Amino acid sequence: MIGALKEAWANFRGFDTTGSTVPPMDGPLRPNARLDAAPLLLAIDDVDNLTATPAGLLASVGAEIHQLVAEGDTLRIAATRTMPGAVTAMASSGHSLAIAIAGAGIQIEAEGAAPRMVSLDGIDAGHVTAMSFAGPATLYVAIGSARHPAREWKRDLMTKTAAGSVLRLDLLQGRTTVIARDLAFPSGILASGGRVFVSEAWRHRVLSLGADGGKPEVVLGGLPAYPGRIAPSSAGGYWLVMFAPRNPLVEFVLKEKDYRRRMVETIDPDYWIAPSLATGRSFLEPIQGGARKKLNMLKPWSPTWSTGLVVRCGPDMAMLESWHSRADGAVHGVTSLAEMNGRLMAGARGSGKIVALDRIDEGSAA
Amino acid sequence: MASNDSLSDRLAFLRSRLFPDHVVGEIMSKRWIDNAIPFTALVLTIVVLGSIIPDFLSLSSLSDFSRQFAEFGLVVLALTIVMISGGIDLSVAAVFSLAVLFSLIGVNVYELPVPAVLVGILGLGMVCGALNGVLIGYLRLRAFLTTLVSLIIFRSIYEIVFVKMSTAIMSGFSDSDLWLFIGEGSVFGVPVSLVITLVIALAWHIVLSRMRPGWRLTAVGGARRSAFNAGIDVRLMVFSTYVASSMMCALAGFLFAARLGSTGSDTGVGLEVQALTAAVLGGTAIGGGRGSVAKAIIGSLLVLLLTNGLINLGISGPITSTILGAVLILAVFIDMRWQKHRHRILAKIYVSPTYLDLPPAPAVDAPGSPYALNDRLRSVEIIGLGEIEGPEDVILDRHDNLYCGTRHGDIVRFFGPDHKRSEIFAHIGGHPLGMAFDRDDNLLVCIGGMGLFQVAPDKTVTKLTDETNRSWTSIVDDSRLRLADDVDIAPDGRVYFSEATIRYEQEDWATDALESRASGRMICYDPRTGRTHTEIPKLVFANGVAMCPDGQSFMFAESWTCSISRYYFDGPKKGTIEKVIDNLPGYPDNINRASDGNYWMALLGMRGPALDLALKMPGFRKRMARRVAPDQWLYPNINTGCVVKFNEKGEILDSLWDLGGLNHPMITSMREHRGWLYLGGVSNNRIGRYRLPDADPNWCAQDAYWGAKP
Repeated sequence: MIGALKEAWANFRGFDTTGSTVPPMDGPLRPNARLDAAPLLLAIDDVDNLTATPAGLLASVGAEIHQLVAEGDTLRIAATRTMPGAVTAMASSGHSLAIAIAGAGIQIEAEGAAPRMVSLDGIDAGHVTAMSFAGPATLYVAIGSARHPAREWKRDLMTKTAAGSVLRLDLLQGRTTVIARDLAFPSGILASGGRVFVSEAWRHRVLSLGADGGKPEVVLGGLPAYPGRIAPSSAGGYWLVMFAPRNPLVEFVLKEKDYRRRMVETIDPDYWIAPSLATGRSFLEPIQGGARKKLNMLKPWSPTWSTGLVVRCGPDMAMLESWHSRADGAVHGVTSLAEMNGRLMAGARGSGKIVALDRIDEGSAA
Repeated sequence: MASNDSLSDRLAFLRSRLFPDHVVGEIMSKRWIDNAIPFTALVLTIVVLGSIIPDFLSLSSLSDFSRQFAEFGLVVLALTIVMISGGIDLSVAAVFSLAVLFSLIGVNVYELPVPAVLVGILGLGMVCGALNGVLIGYLRLRAFLTTLVSLIIFRSIYEIVFVKMSTAIMSGFSDSDLWLFIGEGSVFGVPVSLVITLVIALAWHIVLSRMRPGWRLTAVGGARRSAFNAGIDVRLMVFSTYVASSMMCALAGFLFAARLGSTGSDTGVGLEVQALTAAVLGGTAIGGGRGSVAKAIIGSLLVLLLTNGLINLGISGPITSTILGAVLILAVFIDMRWQKHRHRILAKIYVSPTYLDLPPAPAVDAPGSPYALNDRLRSVEIIGLGEIEGPEDVILDRHDNLYCGTRHGDIVRFFGPDHKRSEIFAHIGGHPLGMAFDRDDNLLVCIGGMGLFQVAPDKTVTKLTDETNRSWTSIVDDSRLRLADDVDIAPDGRVYFSEATIRYEQEDWATDALESRASGRMICYDPRTGRTHTEIPKLVFANGVAMCPDGQSFMFAESWTCSISRYYFDGPKKGTIEKVIDNLPGYPDNINRASDGNYWMALLGMRGPALDLALKMPGFRKRMARRVAPDQWLYPNINTGCVVKFNEKGEILDSLWDLGGLNHPMITSMREHRGWLYLGGVSNNRIGRYRLPDADPNWCAQDAYWGAKP
């Protein structure tokens, strides 16, 4: 009751009690243009989940999975296969490959065995956002939201849904355990060293769970952007993508029930006041005051619905340094990362690009 | 849900029509709003005391009260003058009592002529004030300590002299009629002393609010260093305030002596605290720079009413003083809070969005749409890249010279036919917006924040007008031109120009978009009479103007309603407005004639569904304006520009786009000239030139308006 009164008073006065102030990009997140400067390996629209396998780099695009091979300094599509539905996430354990296929289930492909389909209890694989193997027979699966499929993440955020969960699949015995529920869009997952790291996007934080979901702990909180997939780093530590920036206007709209509901009901999601993977595709998109072009220039620090952001984290998930593509950049909406041969491949789904981050072993702090 | 939404839209619409929200902010932005709190307190005091004390407002008590007020008001005014200049004068009461004493000695004891006594008393005040003034103004001593010391000295003199002369004063008697008249007479029923005080107050009011010395005084108090840097003789100014203050106090003492004819050991004791309370209660700032005669009068009335009321209620003197002290503390506290928060409150409540329901935007990507998207403007030739900033409008003369304004306040001329060389044609100082040539080749320019100016072919700049008639219902002063925008000239020479908004300056145009309130207008300047009047009030961001060939009407654009209208200023339809287009896909800016008898119009930005929805929800926009930083506000999308051609029936004939805004992010103006279309944009650093494939290669707007000339 007191809480409700406080909130009503805060809402009346415009105070901030719910953490909707967007923290500045500072410290290890200090802005730069290093992601824009990264060499382009392949331009490929809607590239989503990059996965490093012993057979090479895989990239999912819609229902297709491309096998990419290095050709000089760039990548080339060597082979393509089409799955029966849109691929929402992939994970590799070295000798097993898991592919989440919307409308079908999770396909497990292991060396020397026929592919088999595992279904999730009552949830379509189209809701899967990320997967991670912990050993050859254990697969952790992040379900973004029980209410919205992964591709409708914007709707999930703007309806303030918290219906995500994390599942543990025992592939040998075919058992599914829910180890965490009521999460606000878990968008990335990585099992490592007996712990499971989960990005909880709409609460702007990264959690660390025990193998069975016990002892949840916030390892990164109060982030200025929405965290996404997590990849292991060969140098020890992790790579974390933040697929879209937080924005004060979005935080404001999240507090405005009526406007938000009417926006969600009547407007095409591409034109919402909401984070996005890419900006500037249409003049029907909303813009903010600071994003007006002055003297034909869009300032890099303009407010924007989309950016590109890759963060290198230490073994304890503390952020160490970051690669940015700011408002005026062209590598926006990075959703997945995969390390191969000492290079980090970043797949920018928004801009439709795969770029390479070199010098990743130097460990130079920003 | 949908019916609920339409109901809430209806409510929002009714609310925005019935409650003029913007008025609150406009009243808060007035300078006199400072007096609102003291004035309310005064009215409350009168009502409360008048209702609990019988005879409080009776005529007999009023007469006595007005004489008290005359003396006390003078002292408060004296203190106010010093406080406005940033100082403080604690010696007012001591000078007052000295004046009382010496007036009585002069009149009663030595029986000197009353005018001589008055001159002597004023001289005494001058000497006392000069002492303070030299110490504080020239020797730069602290005002508080200095006047505290002089208070003690003057008071001591009073005590010494009073002891020696009290018997003589009591036994003396003056039979001067003048002395009696000053003390008890009245002019048309108004006590003489009150007349004197009111005349002095009026004089000070004029000096403070209308004359240079008063403005300098306020400047010294507001920012001493800046005043010094501006060339004001700060020391002389400070010196004079103390002299003036002490002279007024001496005059007050003289009036007091004339009224009572006696003095006591407690005359003037505690008067400085009363006066200080009155000044602060009235709203005069202790730090200087803010104060007025009205504040002094309100404050002194308040204090006198309070003290008299308390005495009438039978409350003893010390307790009255205590209550006054408490009131002083309260006044200081309220004043401090008010000063601290006034601008913040104003900033929060001034922006007042209204309900605006735009008709659905035409689908620009539908097959067969006249707005079919293309990139034709991406290939335009660029003129003056990097040399100019902010060419809102462009215009060409018969000799193919190209003129444009810049945000540095220049009009730049690019020499035809290749427009490679340029010169500064005129420097006016404000950002030039819309332009037009008149019959005699003068260039008429709307300047944001300044008004309508004329640049003759020999480069002489003349101000044509910077004000129009003040409308009775507007609370903000709408006589000044804040954002003159586009201009065109009727065949008979009358100049019609638009003013986008009366509520914001040019750099805040987007805040006006957020409001989408009808605060723009169309103004007419008649060079035959030199008079300016508002032709069409209450337009929503009135923007482009273009004369129709019939010579009786013009087209004009209202940006935020995405509409074009036609207004008849002459002929059978005189005074009527016809809607020509009401659902553009973007926000129209300037309109100009095309060679084929149609019109070109620039869309400065495009509509988006998120903003269209927000326009129907004024509460949402109001909260956004309060809680989100302006750089993060939802804006009209002005990063994509577009030029469309339309005819008198409102049909869209053609459209030219630069999708993504690579070459021209924002197009605010365009002119057709000899087969080319020239493009300007208020935030661009270039002018574009696009080859029109089917246009008349010899058409020049100046010839079309005024006939060919060599």
